[in-house]
Amino acid sequence: MSGPAARLELRGIGKRYANGVLANDAIDLRIARGEIHALIGENGAGKSTLVKMLYGLEQPTAGTLLLDGRAARLDTPADAIAAGIGLVPQHVQLVPSFSVARNVVLGAEPSRWGWLRQGAAVRAVEALERRFGLAADPMALASTLSLGGQQRVEILKALYRGADLLLLDEPGAVLSPHEAASLYGALRALADAGMSVLLITHKIADVLEVADRYTVLRAGRLVGGGRSREASAAGLAAQIVGRPLPPAARPEPAARGAVLLRARGLVHASGSAECLDGVDLDVAAGEILGIAGVEGNGQGLLARTLAVLHGAALVPEDRLHDGVAPTLSIAENAIASTYRRAPLSRHGWLRRAAIDAAARAMIADYRVAAAGPGQPIGALSGGNMQKIVLARALATQPRVLVACQPTRGVDIGAARFLRERLLALRDGGAAIVLVSADLDEILELSDRIVVMFRGRIVGHFRGHEQDAPSLGAYMTGAQRQKDAAACIDSPFAPFAPNSPEAA
Amino acid sequence: MKRIADFLLPPESRRTVGAVCVALLAGLLLIAGVSDEPLRAWLILLTGALPELRQASDGGWHWHRLVRFGTVLEDTINLTLLGLAVAIPFRARQFALGADGQLFLGALAASVAALCWPGPAWLALPMACGAAMLAGGAWGGVTGVLKWRCGANEMVVSLMLNLVAIEFYRLAITRWLRDPGAGFPATPFFPPEAALTPLIAHTGVSWMLLAAPLMVAAVALLLGRTTLGYEIRVIGAAPAFALQAGLPVGRATVLSMALGGMLAGLAGFHIGHAVLKRLPVDLAPGLGFEGLLVALLARHQPRAILGAAFFYAWLRAGGQAMERGTDVSREIALVLQALVIVLVMAERWPWRPGRGEAS
Repeated sequence: MSGPAARLELRGIGKRYANGVLANDAIDLRIARGEIHALIGENGAGKSTLVKMLYGLEQPTAGTLLLDGRAARLDTPADAIAAGIGLVPQHVQLVPSFSVARNVVLGAEPSRWGWLRQGAAVRAVEALERRFGLAADPMALASTLSLGGQQRVEILKALYRGADLLLLDEPGAVLSPHEAASLYGALRALADAGMSVLLITHKIADVLEVADRYTVLRAGRLVGGGRSREASAAGLAAQIVGRPLPPAARPEPAARGAVLLRARGLVHASGSAECLDGVDLDVAAGEILGIAGVEGNGQGLLARTLAVLHGAALVPEDRLHDGVAPTLSIAENAIASTYRRAPLSRHGWLRRAAIDAAARAMIADYRVAAAGPGQPIGALSGGNMQKIVLARALATQPRVLVACQPTRGVDIGAARFLRERLLALRDGGAAIVLVSADLDEILELSDRIVVMFRGRIVGHFRGHEQDAPSLGAYMTGAQRQKDAAACIDSPFAPFAPNSPEAA
Repeated sequence: MKRIADFLLPPESRRTVGAVCVALLAGLLLIAGVSDEPLRAWLILLTGALPELRQASDGGWHWHRLVRFGTVLEDTINLTLLGLAVAIPFRARQFALGADGQLFLGALAASVAALCWPGPAWLALPMACGAAMLAGGAWGGVTGVLKWRCGANEMVVSLMLNLVAIEFYRLAITRWLRDPGAGFPATPFFPPEAALTPLIAHTGVSWMLLAAPLMVAAVALLLGRTTLGYEIRVIGAAPAFALQAGLPVGRATVLSMALGGMLAGLAGFHIGHAVLKRLPVDLAPGLGFEGLLVALLARHQPRAILGAAFFYAWLRAGGQAMERGTDVSREIALVLQALVIVLVMAERWPWRPGRGEAS
């Protein structure tokens, strides 16, 4: 390579774990100063292992790592921090009861004789914010911030420790489109200021829209890379999955049947910011009602309310919290909604053979990559875990299903599989409510779409014909349809934005 | 053979056995610091609890120290039942500490049954046993219902209910059940047909020796093979998930505490009917907390509890033997017990940092 030494360069980096698993094999990677580099691949492709090695949590078993052209060893995270590497974890780890400023300086507090110098902390944070254009009130409590805001604080934290090479682990996975756009804007500003960014992602859009260059991993190996400008979505998808991925079939609207789920005037005022303020909706057999909106505008509450009051089967939003029991086996997780029925149990006794068979069938049907039904479900990747969650919800053959973020954090192949299952369920005559922060998913699957804003339905749209920008205006509250509701005979908002009816 | 070995010493508990060995070696160092004859004291600590086969002057072989070994077995039975009593609610993530109170009420109920409704052994014994389990179970259930219906913290409630139960026990013995002929407040001896006959002379070792492993098996079956046990384990592993999946969380929580209470009540029956044959007013509280330690040692795995209870009882008897036979006090044995528990509870060895995080 010619030109100035790269900020970070990997030459033939490999990692073989003690148990023999080869997680990374001969990885070459080069990130220049001022570059945003996307590292893309499916779950289990070896992205996390690579990041762990860059942050000193794991040590490579082969190859060399160069920082500014000099070979370096990163034995601990402290070494990585000293070398100017900062990690923004996938799940933000802030102290909720601390202010932004105290979170940023945590562990490296400006102090005098053991006393925290609050003023100095605030000034340091404000200086960082000015320099890099990351807006956050230093005195605000971390618990009051949105997820996007918390992520900005994590970035500030890394910058405060002097990082000029930021590793971001799936930052977009938990953000609304709006928040993600603002995060990526901030990253671009950082890059323009000379920082290097390694963006770990499994979204193709991130590569095309955010990154300068990209590297594709598959099964621990480097399978592609180059300039983002020269990449195409189809080509990337083929590299990631390892075979050309046929374009997703545009699902045909199914024949709509009788209304299976009817809710009128749902109101829920809880202590938290999320509320429901008079929601009317119907879902008929054979249709998917998509619910779009910036997170925290009542969609989650609506989903829980429908599940509790109307007995709908639920695919919960946060699978690690209430979607699975991570320490229990796949089989024990798979039977959670059916264990009281024959043949899984009789007279209060579990029947092991039947449970084992049911779990094996589920693993086979949903193509779950697992060692067997006895494996703890927490050991599975997010996508495989989600397959079990969905399989369990469908095992009860629900007439009404509420699916929240069914493909969040799931890689492309598995996500498409899960969507096909939802469509198959719809075609089988079930009524489905789909809550998703992924607008593309809403647009692809829904027969009707509503947008929620501050606990209300602010727009009702025909499915299969909207595009993301026109929904965006409704999601931010800039536009609303008068007396919008999601009943079967409710009028649809017009397609084109800024029409007089939508004022 | 391997299956039996795996049952008694499951692979996941081998580290526990390692921790025990390390603690015992540390004990040797400790004893060396306070004793003039450390090795002998240490050996007595380890072997003092065991019976001894000795040749008498007439050439025949006789067992010695059987009574001492009997106390080891009695304690093992008590601690097994109490360990199970703590472990069941814990598996539902309920930190119920009410085993003491449940034991006292169980013992009291059994003695009332024995003293007030005398009958033939085949009727009197099951009745006393049932009364004990019912009383203990009900007392455990109270904690559960308060938690379920009122959201009362089970730790606080169970500790307070312990005080209530123990004081009620003392009141009942001194006021209503007292034997006027005894020199101290205690119930009369139970009629012989209502007491359990010893298997080893001069000890309280009875057929309850079989009840302990039976109960271990029953609890292992309950947790592993029944729908209720499944509910308890799911609630313990992920409470939010259990609620979301529609499991009967309240019912299973209450039942876990009631079942634990029944086992503690059974321990009360064992103490009254097999060991003491009467109930003194000064029955010492605290056994329930030793059950808690046994459950911790077994990491709340029912099948490991029998071994943990035996180890605990064995070390205690060894400590007493050491105190009698050498210049080392039995507090050393307590220190050892504490060391073992600390080492077992530690998630990983200090000299292999980071092993727990590898993914």
